Amino acid sequence: MNSIPVITTLIAFLTVFFISLFFEGVDRKVHARMQRRIGPPIIQPFYDFIKLFNKERIIPITASSEIFTAVPIIAAASSILAAAIPLTSLMVGESLVGDLILILYLLAMSSVLLMVGGSSSGNPYGAVGFSRNMTMLIAYEVPLFISIVVVSINCNSLAYCEIVQTQIRTGNLLALSRLSMAVSAIAFLFSLPAAAEVVPFDISEAKTEIVHGLLVEYSGPYLALFKLAKASSKFALTFLASTVFFYLPALFGEGASKGLGALCICLGIALILWMLIITFTRTIFARLKIGQALKFYWLIPLSTSVFSVALLIIGL
Amino acid sequence: MKNKFEEKDKEIELGYKRLRIPFGPVHPALKEPVSLRVTVRKEEVLQVEVRLGHVHRGIEALAEDRNLVQTLYLVERICGICSHSHTTCFTQAVEEIGGITPPERALYLRTLIFELERIHSHLFLLGIVAYEVGFDTLFMFIWHLRESVLDLFEKITGNRVHHSMNKIGGVRWDLTSKLTEEVSNSLNKLEKSIKHIHEVFQDKTVEKRIRGVGLLSLDKAEDLGVVGPTARGSGVDIDVRRDYPYAVYKELKGKFTVVMKKDGDAYARTEVRIFELFESVNLIRAILDELPNGPISIENSAIRLMRMVPEGETVSMVEAPRGELLYFVKTDGRGGLQRLKVRTPTIPNVIALEPMLVGCEIADIPVVTASVDPCMACADRITVIDNERERLINWEKLRRRRKMQ
Repeated sequence: MNSIPVITTLIAFLTVFFISLFFEGVDRKVHARMQRRIGPPIIQPFYDFIKLFNKERIIPITASSEIFTAVPIIAAASSILAAAIPLTSLMVGESLVGDLILILYLLAMSSVLLMVGGSSSGNPYGAVGFSRNMTMLIAYEVPLFISIVVVSINCNSLAYCEIVQTQIRTGNLLALSRLSMAVSAIAFLFSLPAAAEVVPFDISEAKTEIVHGLLVEYSGPYLALFKLAKASSKFALTFLASTVFFYLPALFGEGASKGLGALCICLGIALILWMLIITFTRTIFARLKIGQALKFYWLIPLSTSVFSVALLIIGL
Repeated sequence: MKNKFEEKDKEIELGYKRLRIPFGPVHPALKEPVSLRVTVRKEEVLQVEVRLGHVHRGIEALAEDRNLVQTLYLVERICGICSHSHTTCFTQAVEEIGGITPPERALYLRTLIFELERIHSHLFLLGIVAYEVGFDTLFMFIWHLRESVLDLFEKITGNRVHHSMNKIGGVRWDLTSKLTEEVSNSLNKLEKSIKHIHEVFQDKTVEKRIRGVGLLSLDKAEDLGVVGPTARGSGVDIDVRRDYPYAVYKELKGKFTVVMKKDGDAYARTEVRIFELFESVNLIRAILDELPNGPISIENSAIRLMRMVPEGETVSMVEAPRGELLYFVKTDGRGGLQRLKVRTPTIPNVIALEPMLVGCEIADIPVVTASVDPCMACADRITVIDNERERLINWEKLRRRRKMQ
């Protein structure tokens, strides 16, 4: 009896691991094709992961070693969990009350932990990366949270499953159901590139400026774990967007909107969202400066999300 | 003396508000060992210290042990990007001392390779500027384009980087009619692609990063003696090709204009280079049209020519892709050299980094550094680094040191 939750958790973790690294591979391939390169094979992230895991563990003398080594494991675990919760609750059809908040916190957790790990390395680039990451968190977390809060007020629930159920019941995508929902979906999608830390907003790790910032001292298995954490948090974000705002199976009636088929459709939408919002932006833009990024986030996505709150209040 | 330095370091590191960041010599943003010591407060740059000497190879001293033909290949290896500029400058000096006049076709071919090299070098830099601002796609596009220029080099001279095109009294490879056609075909493609690249550089996100950063005023540029596109970006009107024409630039005077911008920021310097690409394309077209028939080098063998060079000294100048390149050559009359002095454009340009960077943000350091196009391999020849202190050692001392060893 007791082994069922363990097995479920294990399966969920493995699924997230494979799917997120596979999506990452597709992302790299498409990115390369858009740059007129051939690009790596789609399973390259798996190769990278295995290769990095077999490498030597190096801990700098200046680092406080306990924090430095513990942080990657927790970061990877929390971002995988952030993806696994919606995945399993979609399959099971039930979820805890308030798990939406849990998911958002787990997502923020991996970036906060990265900051802790990077600043514990004792590297000056890590320190610059820390302050930049802090600023970015302030910039994008607010619109991201507001857009989810608007959704939960609209559906009268903080349970993830309830939001999906609402879409199935009404037979419509949430983003298309009301004007306020559409606006909040836009705010959420605007926040995705920054949350995923890709090119216009990869300021905290800017390779050519501060040498990967927080990740500068990480190598071997620890780096592999951080890469996994990043890939799975990207997957968690896109999967969340695809199910919360665009639950396409809801259009096919109540019977067809559950089970493995519905999950596959959602994964497909997640991949499309990943391509459109993460891969395309990182291909067609140059990196912004921290001030410019902050200004952008507080000017457009934040005002969009506040606008959606206003629309909800007046009942649109 | 040393203690004082350490105390100063400590003071800066302990201060909460200030942070000293070593920028280079090994840094992913910099393709060469440029070394900057930057003191920052939050994101603002307060102080910049340029440190040279990480790729010092003693080429000038080596040249004294070799004969003129060997030195020709040695100076080619000073830099991998502007190798043809170095050999042209050196051959010109030797030819001037020896009273050797290369045939006209040879001079035209030298100029052709020179301008192709300018295109290749500028594309290289533009790619790096794009890479520094995080625009990998543009970087890939530009370097893809640069590949076609390298292919042309391979077809004409057999080598992609060190072309070995020059020899004393002429050039080594001729341009067949088939090659001429290929060159003009790829020029058409190049021109089209450069137009596209220029459009992409006007994209808002790129412009936001490079416009208004790394300002160098006209006065400051003139004070520091900045040369090349870096100077022309600040409104200094200098170009060796027009002011002291060499090779066939006198004949081609009407075929090109000196591109100048007055803004003095990284964007102006980048744009000067983009417009110079168009000028180079036009110049190559003019060269292909006017290419005279005849031999490509003097018939005498290189060894005989080398022995004909008497004792003497001269100064030779060319406009390398990065600016004015100057050679002082003193021959000993027995086919060797008494002294070779190279003054590369990077020396004044890299010193100008300090006024450019102070007041910028950390995020601007790579792109501003790239916008002066530093070529450390060219620059480092005579600075001696002794732990923390940098000492300049004059020629007499260096010579004495060598004898001691």
